[in-house]
Amino acid sequence: MLDGFTRSFPPLEMLTPEEMESIHRGALYVLEKTGMGITHPAALKQLADAGCSVDVESGRVRFPAWLVEDCMRKVPTHFRLRARNPEQDLMVGGDTFYFMQGMGMQYLELDTWETRPATGAEHRDAMIVADALPNVHLAEAWEIYTDRRGIPPVMVMLENLANGIRYSTKAQVAGNIQDTEIFGIMMAQAIGIDLFPEIEHASPLTIHDGGVNAAYRYMDAAMPICPALGVAMGAQGPATIAGSIVLQVAETMGWAVLTQAYRPGAPIAIHHGAGALDMRTGIDIWGGPAVSVSTTMMNQMLRRYGIPIWSNAGFASDSKKIDFQAGFEKSTGALMAALSGGHLQLFQGGSSTELLFSPELMVMDDDVAGWIGRILQGARITEETLAVDVINEIGPIPGHYLGHGHTREFWNKEDYFMAVADHEPYSAWLTTGKKDMLSRATEKVEEILATHKPAPLSDAEWEAVDDALSEARNHYRSKGVISDADWSDYMDELKLEEGEHLARA
Amino acid sequence: MSERTLTDLATAVKEYDGENAAQLAQQALDEGTEPIVVLDALTACIREVGDAFGAGDLFLPELVGAADAMETAMPIVVAALKAAGGSRTSAGKVVAGTVAGDIHNIGKSIFCTLLTADGFEVIDLGIDVGVDKFIATIKEEEPDVVAMSALLTITAQEQQNVIAALESAGLRDDLKVIVGGGAISQRFAESIGADGYSPTAPGGVTLVKELLA
Repeated sequence: MLDGFTRSFPPLEMLTPEEMESIHRGALYVLEKTGMGITHPAALKQLADAGCSVDVESGRVRFPAWLVEDCMRKVPTHFRLRARNPEQDLMVGGDTFYFMQGMGMQYLELDTWETRPATGAEHRDAMIVADALPNVHLAEAWEIYTDRRGIPPVMVMLENLANGIRYSTKAQVAGNIQDTEIFGIMMAQAIGIDLFPEIEHASPLTIHDGGVNAAYRYMDAAMPICPALGVAMGAQGPATIAGSIVLQVAETMGWAVLTQAYRPGAPIAIHHGAGALDMRTGIDIWGGPAVSVSTTMMNQMLRRYGIPIWSNAGFASDSKKIDFQAGFEKSTGALMAALSGGHLQLFQGGSSTELLFSPELMVMDDDVAGWIGRILQGARITEETLAVDVINEIGPIPGHYLGHGHTREFWNKEDYFMAVADHEPYSAWLTTGKKDMLSRATEKVEEILATHKPAPLSDAEWEAVDDALSEARNHYRSKGVISDADWSDYMDELKLEEGEHLARA
Repeated sequence: MSERTLTDLATAVKEYDGENAAQLAQQALDEGTEPIVVLDALTACIREVGDAFGAGDLFLPELVGAADAMETAMPIVVAALKAAGGSRTSAGKVVAGTVAGDIHNIGKSIFCTLLTADGFEVIDLGIDVGVDKFIATIKEEEPDVVAMSALLTITAQEQQNVIAALESAGLRDDLKVIVGGGAISQRFAESIGADGYSPTAPGGVTLVKELLA
């Protein structure tokens, strides 16, 4: 199992106990008075049987407080996520913080800073780099390059997931669109791994049928699920941070009842995030400080309930380039999520909200991930690390510590040594091409792609992934979801990719 | 006819007071003001708000608040106009919706508000709009433009299904089709046979104006 990063001190908190209680009561009242919009027939029946007040006609479900509190207690505080390599399984919950790479729709051209649909080879390469990076704990294959050249939109999740499974041994995230989860689960079960599915949710207070279907299917496959709440303050949620927390807690409670009524003890995590809306343009501001504050508060609430957390702060910057803005917005957001007790962090490689993904940025972000992880671990305070005897022994100048055994023992345990950040002496930097972090990251990507070979699938496993893909392709073609013209482009693209892909051997 | 009532009507819209705006619209009609004059007053007022938004003096909450207030008063005026044998004139009629399977509302709603503020008549079908609903509304309303939004790459495909249905129903040549949303591109728009594409709401308004020019 992957250790991830263990926080060694109490989480950052911004809310007093009284404020937490106000949020909790506010959310309970919203669910009892207004409830949620749910239209899925089986869910409506299940929720009515569990004790909710259900108006089938209007698709409105109101939740009594006793039921909400009962179901919130049933949500497990931890769950295990099985990866292709068991040593890379995750145990989500507690004081452990994991990073996952992603997300971003298109490939970023570094010479023009413009984006375009990614090729299959570029997606594969991104997965190989993610597999190699030490601080990517969970591989988010499906949400990088959701705009794939030649791939019909309905097939993108599955094609990306297949690449993730083939070119990374790490645990995998999946999604749900037009029932594609059925084929994703087939792939995962054939390989013997879990998927960690992000389930589409619609704020305010709405769960659509597709989300319910996917949640049921993943729970039937004994996989954890992760409803994705996302609120632009002033648009899908109140303009205040406090109000957005009340809304997201209410939505969390709704999902707790929906899942625990279906399968008591089913593991869930909540993916949350609330950011301001730019009221000049209508664009979400994911890099602003409001996201960090709301993330800290929501993490505090979810920790109160013991529900595992996927937090959003720092998942992307609003910058279109890999620049100072991207660095500070992503790093501070992720640091706040980590300090406030999140468990999973979408981080390495994505930017420009959800528009772009860059392997070079992924490598740079991986340095930041290690840096944040090192901060989380704090400093061990023991007799040995306090070094009182050593300080007495060395005494004043000309005494120094360089040659002491205590230094040899500890020097490389106390800081995090970054792979591509620049720590060169100035004189060396002048003579080695004045490289910045991005140049080093570009070289690092090339180096990884030249040397890193992810552990391959067996022939039988490869065929099983292929079979699930073929079944899905034929299913969506026969249903007319993939038109004849798109089918022809799709097949041409796959042939092209076959030539570009790694040899299976 | 009372100029004062029309001034108060504009003030009510600018103060986001839909209830008062509706009352004042009715009052103006009761005072004998021609429905078309009341309509023009409302349209001029929302254009003024829209211009202030465009200039960066007002922001989305003010724009949407004023547009909502105008929309509350509008049915009263349109009904009076029809009763008098007239019909609403506008910069153009647009049917808009987020396609089936997609539940993202905000971008499309902003687009509709901006269009309203620019003097267009907008029928907003909401989210998760299926092909049948698009077609039925288009038959009934006979719009100049149909605008479809998809935020998810995965649901963008549904836009193509609507265009195909328009062709089957023989409606395609009577209107312009535009697509929008963060998930798609100009290339995608061309590939599905749309007349135009915009990734943003303000760009969508410009596009509508260009197509109808």
